[in-house]
Amino acid sequence: MSSPLSPERKGRMPWSAVFETGRGERLYPYLMVLPAFILVMAVVVYPVISGIVSGFQDLTLRTLSRGQVTFIGTRNFERVWADPVFWTALRNTAWWEGANVVAQMLLGLMLALMLNRPVRARSWLRAGILLPWVVPSVVAVLTWRWMYDPTVGIVNELLVRVGVLKDYFPFLGDVGTSLWAVTVESIWKGTPFVMLLLLAALQMIPRSVMEAAAMDGAHGWRLLFFVVLPQIRLAFAIALILTLILTVNNFNAIWLMTAGGPLNSSETLFTLAYRYGFERMNLGMASALATLLFVFLVAVTTVYLYLIRMREEA
Amino acid sequence: MLKLTTRLLRTAACALGLWGAAAQADTITFWVNAPMVPNAQAPLYDEIRAFEAQTGHKVNLQAIPFQELEKRLFVALGGGSGPDVMAIDNAWLAAYADAGVLADLTDRTRSVASQYQPGPLASGRFQGRLYALPWYTNNVALFVNNDMLKAAGFSAPPKNWTEFRAVAKAMRGLGADKYGLAMGAGRFGVFQMTSFVWQNGGELVDDAGQVRVGEPAVAETFQLFTDMYRVDKSIPDTVLTAQSWDEVFAPFLQSRAGMLISGDWTIGTIKRVSPNLNYSIVPLPAGKRAATVIGGFNLAVNAKTKSPAAADLVLFLTGPRSVEAMRKADRLSAHMTATTAEAIAKLPETQRPFMSQAAAGRARPSIAIWAEVHSSILSPAWDASVRGLVTPQAAVQKAASEIAAKMK
Repeated sequence: MSSPLSPERKGRMPWSAVFETGRGERLYPYLMVLPAFILVMAVVVYPVISGIVSGFQDLTLRTLSRGQVTFIGTRNFERVWADPVFWTALRNTAWWEGANVVAQMLLGLMLALMLNRPVRARSWLRAGILLPWVVPSVVAVLTWRWMYDPTVGIVNELLVRVGVLKDYFPFLGDVGTSLWAVTVESIWKGTPFVMLLLLAALQMIPRSVMEAAAMDGAHGWRLLFFVVLPQIRLAFAIALILTLILTVNNFNAIWLMTAGGPLNSSETLFTLAYRYGFERMNLGMASALATLLFVFLVAVTTVYLYLIRMREEA
Repeated sequence: MLKLTTRLLRTAACALGLWGAAAQADTITFWVNAPMVPNAQAPLYDEIRAFEAQTGHKVNLQAIPFQELEKRLFVALGGGSGPDVMAIDNAWLAAYADAGVLADLTDRTRSVASQYQPGPLASGRFQGRLYALPWYTNNVALFVNNDMLKAAGFSAPPKNWTEFRAVAKAMRGLGADKYGLAMGAGRFGVFQMTSFVWQNGGELVDDAGQVRVGEPAVAETFQLFTDMYRVDKSIPDTVLTAQSWDEVFAPFLQSRAGMLISGDWTIGTIKRVSPNLNYSIVPLPAGKRAATVIGGFNLAVNAKTKSPAAADLVLFLTGPRSVEAMRKADRLSAHMTATTAEAIAKLPETQRPFMSQAAAGRARPSIAIWAEVHSSILSPAWDASVRGLVTPQAAVQKAASEIAAKMK
């Protein structure tokens, strides 16, 4: 097929015209996404694959620098499983996830329902409740650490004044309370995000639905369980999945408040992976543990993406 | 796959701005812990300029925050990159030397090795070879709140363990919120106790590589501090939670604890936070023998450096000039000439006690897994003992068997 352009016009064509016809035209969209593709491959796909592969290698600073990295099958995973701290960290992670998700979802829902009503000073309340979410996580964690201080902390002072405690208590230094104490900070920090998602969903419920329910005599708990929650179920599920992901990735809170201690009482899989990597300098074991976490997060993210698609289709 | 992994670490190093450091032979890239260059007037800049003028080489000085330095070195050196010359905490040295990422300086420094203080010099050795020269040194002494000491009825700081415990107990009697000793949890507590273990005739891991943590001398030291917390109540509850030097210092800075076992890095914090605190720095209360744990930084050379002058920079900065340079930087030189009476007299009053006990300074065990032993074995042992979860004897014996298993 001959070109629609005259030979005279062809002579004056800019170089980019090569992408307007034939093979150039077919290549054009691929070239446009190529930079993004290369970037994603380099900073996401390659490190992830490399990380997974590292989980099957004898990878320490020593083997790495001496060029003695070898494939050792599943030995790193076996070492991780044989480590009693791993099972403590696994239990703690399950507890940490469960407590955070349940508390943040319940509190987030309560706050969203409260702010969805025409209460006084609603905008002030909303801003105040969002405050923990906008505070940088390191600042928040260090502030809470001082609040929990066993000799001058305000938490202790308040609890003593209201009669809950007889004397100051080292919340972060006691094996029975350290994980609880960190969880409280995490709930405080994470709840506003859940509230924001649920509040947006509540405001999307058509007024006609609520009016019809009211005319049918639905009030209080019945209205909540049979009308409101079904209307926001998708947003609720998305918030739940996101909370799961954000909680498992919340390394700052635990590391900066307790560093997984005392005596591993607040150790989670994430802090343990860090410990394997930077205290033992064993990247193989750290990668093996990170791979386990990765598999869990992929599963959870898949559910999240499925829910997002459902919402878009709805 | 090795290449792939190495590339990954190089990618990480690139992302951190660490790559390419050792690539230019005419420029020496030098990583230092950021506190050594707090501002543009830091004495280190003068030293670098003097080196450049004398040798014609350029030095690319990069300050890395202390908390980041170990991780960045790990990533960079693991990826076959990193600086030509690096400041390295003497507690980390064995791990890096064992990994083969540091240049062996034994032959190069043979003629000058005797010019350094023995304790700090030993902290640069691993398996008989020298991988670093001591840049500046420190050790721990006893900080005493003079007002609390007087109020407790004592005219002089404690000179032995019996007096030490008695003074702490008397300070506890000064009020409901008054204590004798500020002490840290986990690895901070272990660091503070290490000198006492040696003073008591004990060892953690001896020079022959034998694990001796389970011996009575170590258990007795754990017992002393455990009893001071649990029986005498002379240590505040921060011993269960303090995980940074700031938190360890806090009760002492607030005049709630009358004594503190620490090094010269505490002085700056006191000046900044409690400038009116009336305190003295005295040698540690003596045990069966004199001993104080050595801290500080060494200078090492990257095994993969392409700069032939990298070792020259190390020798220049740690040499006789370091005495004056470190005095200006409020640090203690590890050069032998820094221990003369004349040099000590020039030091600020607060630094003199540290230098005067430098001869009793001992480096921590030179084993590759020391960081792991300290953080993951000895720290939990101390945490369990001070909480009364196990006896001090059981804690150290369990730690000993764990260390022995790791070292196999």
